[in-house]
Amino acid sequence: MKKLFFTILIFSSIIFSQEKSHLANDNLFSPTNIKRFADYLFCQKDYLRAANEYERILSLVQNDSIEFKIALSYLEMGNFSEASTRFNSIKKSSSFYKSAQAQSLKSVFQTGDIVQFRNQYLDINSNKAYLDSAGMASLYMFSFLLTEEPLPNEDEFIKTFPIAEKSKIKNFYDWKQDPLEKSPLKAAIFSAVIPGAGKIYANEYSDGIYAFIATLVAGYLAFDNFKAGHDFRGWIFSGLTVGFYAGNIYGSAAAVQIYNARIRFDFINELKAFLEDKNYFLQVFNFCN
Amino acid sequence: MSGYLKHILIISVLIPIKLFSQDIIQNQYSYALSLYNSEQYYDAVTEFKRLLFFDGEKEYVYDANEYIGMSYKMGGKFSDAILYFAIAEMNAGNDEELFNSKVEIVRANILRRTISHAIALLDSLQKDKRFTDKQWDIYYWKGWAYIFNDKWDDAAREFSKIDSSKTLMIFCKNVDQEQYSVSFANIISHFIPGAGQIYSGHYFSGFLSLGWNVLWGYLTINSFVNNRIFDGLVIGNLLWLRFYNGNLQNAVKYAEENNLGITNRALDYLQSGYRGIKP
Repeated sequence: MKKLFFTILIFSSIIFSQEKSHLANDNLFSPTNIKRFADYLFCQKDYLRAANEYERILSLVQNDSIEFKIALSYLEMGNFSEASTRFNSIKKSSSFYKSAQAQSLKSVFQTGDIVQFRNQYLDINSNKAYLDSAGMASLYMFSFLLTEEPLPNEDEFIKTFPIAEKSKIKNFYDWKQDPLEKSPLKAAIFSAVIPGAGKIYANEYSDGIYAFIATLVAGYLAFDNFKAGHDFRGWIFSGLTVGFYAGNIYGSAAAVQIYNARIRFDFINELKAFLEDKNYFLQVFNFCN
Repeated sequence: MSGYLKHILIISVLIPIKLFSQDIIQNQYSYALSLYNSEQYYDAVTEFKRLLFFDGEKEYVYDANEYIGMSYKMGGKFSDAILYFAIAEMNAGNDEELFNSKVEIVRANILRRTISHAIALLDSLQKDKRFTDKQWDIYYWKGWAYIFNDKWDDAAREFSKIDSSKTLMIFCKNVDQEQYSVSFANIISHFIPGAGQIYSGHYFSGFLSLGWNVLWGYLTINSFVNNRIFDGLVIGNLLWLRFYNGNLQNAVKYAEENNLGITNRALDYLQSGYRGIKP
């Protein structure tokens, strides 16, 4: 009975202390404990601190998975150039090398430097054995949607994407080919001929109707006041007419520019949201589950 | 007997191991605290987080979260600070700790300018019977909440309830008296265009506004007198009303701008010149 009591006491004290603490040994700053803490910070999305802790481990022992996590932390923080540098520093002999190259490509893509991204892609593209080679090819093609360059042939463009994404990609391709933008010059000419017509062309219907009525009324009043011998009021209404007329021509061109900027902005946002959703066509790393 | 000795031997080995690990945790707390005291707030947060991660007994869960919150507050990360103060609040061991963590949440809300949250929290503290002896603290932080909400009169009223805060009360009253009345500026501009701007010291703008309104008002009336009704309506709507509305908007804008300057000077003084506890 006593033996049983002592055995339970001893085991419970060991299990109790092990269950509640993450301590692997008595040194909080041993590589094992630092790694446990860094992994915890990484999974808590405290990436800057996680990267700093991983760096501490690297100063003690070399470890390619730690190097990879440091690079991932920088990527998650939005420090893309540092992330790319870190991914590129992973040695060829590492099992993370191919993934690191793909992630480096993603980092460069996210810096917005499309020229560097394409050069880097062409450098590593010869190695078809990459796990992410299809994804990288998709990302490469996708980059054409973000620049002003002419798009590749439609079949060639769409075939690089996964089957599930082809219809969405086709929509993007069609939009890019014919973005439905309007001409500011046309808007200005329309408004010069019929005040307000340019605004209507820019889809601003109420502004167009208001501009038409205001210009017409002010012009009529100017004419009528001159005719009735009220020259002072005639000049005031003439000034108003000129102001409305010229302002409307300028405003129509500006409205079309705003319209174009808005649809370009929406398109870019949609592309970015799609890329984020598809993780840039690359493998997803989950170290936290 | 030998069996007892064996067990005593095992326990005497295990207990020091456990005590030793707690000693490590205590040392970590001291280290993190020293970083906080030396104003190395980023490192303090890291080390308090390390402490929380390895503190299996959860002995420092309140203090560590409280210090993490204060470190974040010092770094201007008020939302993060509030998150950690809230965790500290959930782990408070007694009413004193509970009150302190709630007050820290109030202070961070004041600095974050989410004043309505701060006031709501202070109201709930005021109603809480556990904190009847803390009423002065509650009035004090309510006063500060009103200061940051630009309600100097309300702030003075809260400080007047505390014996030790007469200086703050007088200061808030002075700031309130120094401020321009936005509604007065607006009302007098309705009757005499430009008067609101003149009231807030913008004489040129005031007289210019008056001139424009007189001109367009005259032309509007003149059109009606000459039976040019449509002319009068157009001039009145497109020109006179435009300048009249502009005059009202300017009157309000200038009074508010002046008040903003007065408030900023007062806050600047409180930040650098006031020696009491601040949010």
